[in-house]
Amino acid sequence: MSTEHAQDAQTRDAGGGVPDAGTTQASPPSLTPPDSTPVRLGALSWLFPYRSALAALGMAVVIGLIVTLAAFASSTGMSFSDTVSGLLGTGDSATVMLVQEFRLPRIAVGLMVGAALGIAGCLTQTLAGNRLATPDVIGVNDGATMAVVASVVGSSTGMIGDWWLGPLGAAAAAMVVVLCAGGAGRGGYRILVVGIGVSTFIGAVTDLVMSRENDNTAGGVFLWTVGSLNGRDWGVGTPLTYLLLLLVPLALVAGSRLQLLRFDDDMASTLGVNVRRVRAVALLLAVALAGIAVGIGGPIGFVALAAPVLAARLTGPTRVPVVGSALAGAALVAGADALGRVIAPVEIPVGVVTSVLGGPFLLWVLFGKKSSPAPPAASQKTGKA
Amino acid sequence: MELTVEALTAGYPGHPVVTGVDLTVPSGQVVAIVGPNGCGKSTLLRAVARLHKPESGTVRAGEKDVWQLTQRAAAHRIALLAQSPQAPEAVTVAGLVRYGRHPHQGLFRQWSREDERAVREALEATGTTALAERRLDQLSGGQRQRCWLAMVLAQQTPIVLLDEPTSALDLGHAVEVLSLVREVAAAGRTVVMVLHDLASAARYADTVVAMNAGRIVAQGPARDVVTASLVKELYGIDADILRAPGDGSPVVVPVAASAGTPAAAETTPVG
Repeated sequence: MSTEHAQDAQTRDAGGGVPDAGTTQASPPSLTPPDSTPVRLGALSWLFPYRSALAALGMAVVIGLIVTLAAFASSTGMSFSDTVSGLLGTGDSATVMLVQEFRLPRIAVGLMVGAALGIAGCLTQTLAGNRLATPDVIGVNDGATMAVVASVVGSSTGMIGDWWLGPLGAAAAAMVVVLCAGGAGRGGYRILVVGIGVSTFIGAVTDLVMSRENDNTAGGVFLWTVGSLNGRDWGVGTPLTYLLLLLVPLALVAGSRLQLLRFDDDMASTLGVNVRRVRAVALLLAVALAGIAVGIGGPIGFVALAAPVLAARLTGPTRVPVVGSALAGAALVAGADALGRVIAPVEIPVGVVTSVLGGPFLLWVLFGKKSSPAPPAASQKTGKA
Repeated sequence: MELTVEALTAGYPGHPVVTGVDLTVPSGQVVAIVGPNGCGKSTLLRAVARLHKPESGTVRAGEKDVWQLTQRAAAHRIALLAQSPQAPEAVTVAGLVRYGRHPHQGLFRQWSREDERAVREALEATGTTALAERRLDQLSGGQRQRCWLAMVLAQQTPIVLLDEPTSALDLGHAVEVLSLVREVAAAGRTVVMVLHDLASAARYADTVVAMNAGRIVAQGPARDVVTASLVKELYGIDADILRAPGDGSPVVVPVAASAGTPAAAETTPVG
């Protein structure tokens, strides 16, 4: 600490001081945001985030591989090259139909559900300034589950009701949590604690209702409550596509505004951000995206937690990684779903697979961060590799 | 740009913290607000910075009522450095200072030459150019405070508000920051800062504004305002006012222990 003043004196002198003058002038620090290239056109200027773009490209390639393997893995007796040509639409018509009409829909739904979960997690984590603040913590999963279970109990046929009941239940639960917590402010822990309480309560009500149903109905609902993509086709895939086309661009805009909430609220305000509005819109988007995902795929755990963390590691810490989280989430869900179908003779629901993989991941997030607070950029990267 | 506060009353329901404050700060001037803890000086600053909605009264930056502006338009006019601001995790110094450009940026203006120049000039003005690529959380308190100042300068607002900019600094760094504040004002910006230390307020401000119980009790040049009776009124202690040999600015020396008032410890200059 005794060198502090000496260091300061040096930096003060930089430029004027004799020993420093040469070196500072020779290498002025780059002031452009890291991992980006400015593109300027008259008064207009953009930043091309080449690192994020590269990471996105890499993830897209991984997703392509996952789609191919998933289509191949679910086949009985179709060769790998036939699967590929079926996907590309270049094979014979029977193969193309088999792959594209029967296998692709489920894979596509998995990708979209994963992307929605990833973005929702990215938004809530940034909002609360806490990596553990995922949509399920604010009651989204349990609310959706409750609504779906209620639809089964309420119907005369014992069938699961329309897919949109999930998002509705999710929104209702999230609203209760936000109201009880007195807003979605940072301070983070309040909403987390209230969320855990409300979720537990709703979960208990769901269990109570389930326990009073007959085994048949309960069995069907149970498969849904662990998170499964079994039998999902374009019937849900089409509305899902439209909803994502609407919500994802909004999430991209929200993400760029959320950037400033990495400061405290006062600083964000004096830097020109309408903190309340940004926070409300981002929360609404997160609940909508997560609610839709859960309504369709069931409460697939850990994706909303893991995807943004993975994305941040890949794209760097300077931006809110909305695109990266979407791609990572898509890869995780589609990958876990494919894995669940090949590793055991009986299909393992995707939610079980992600939970099994998620446990160790959570520990990595918790302890990987604590163990190396000083230069995390370098050490954590090597830890991952 | 002139800052005008008229009949400002602000606080919490049933509990006004600032009552009927009038204050005019001309361009290029440094005003220091002093007063005991809880006298309303921070609330006044927050009301000016659009962080605390006043119950009545107006705050004008130039001709415009600050509270009628959008958040972004206000951020073009007024910048605030809070007392202990929280930085984004793992941000570098250059990264922090770049955030100061946020009010000037948008979808089609993400990183203009002007942004780059403002950041470079802010780093140079605060002597933090050599720290640009360091991480903020690895710097000393004095270095960090200069970086925060750089960010506020990069915002290029005509009005700059500082809430106790020297409270966590040792004497050397405090003087450094306050000299920087003088340079900022010399460049034509209007500066309003809350200070705890009467001596620095007297030496670095054109006008000292003394607040007590939500009201302005005295305002003017330090040598007129800082008197033994004012110190008694603000802090409830007896003090001798000496004149600094150099410029004759007042120096407050609390009368020693015999008085036995517990408040005496608090008013010992901290900067």
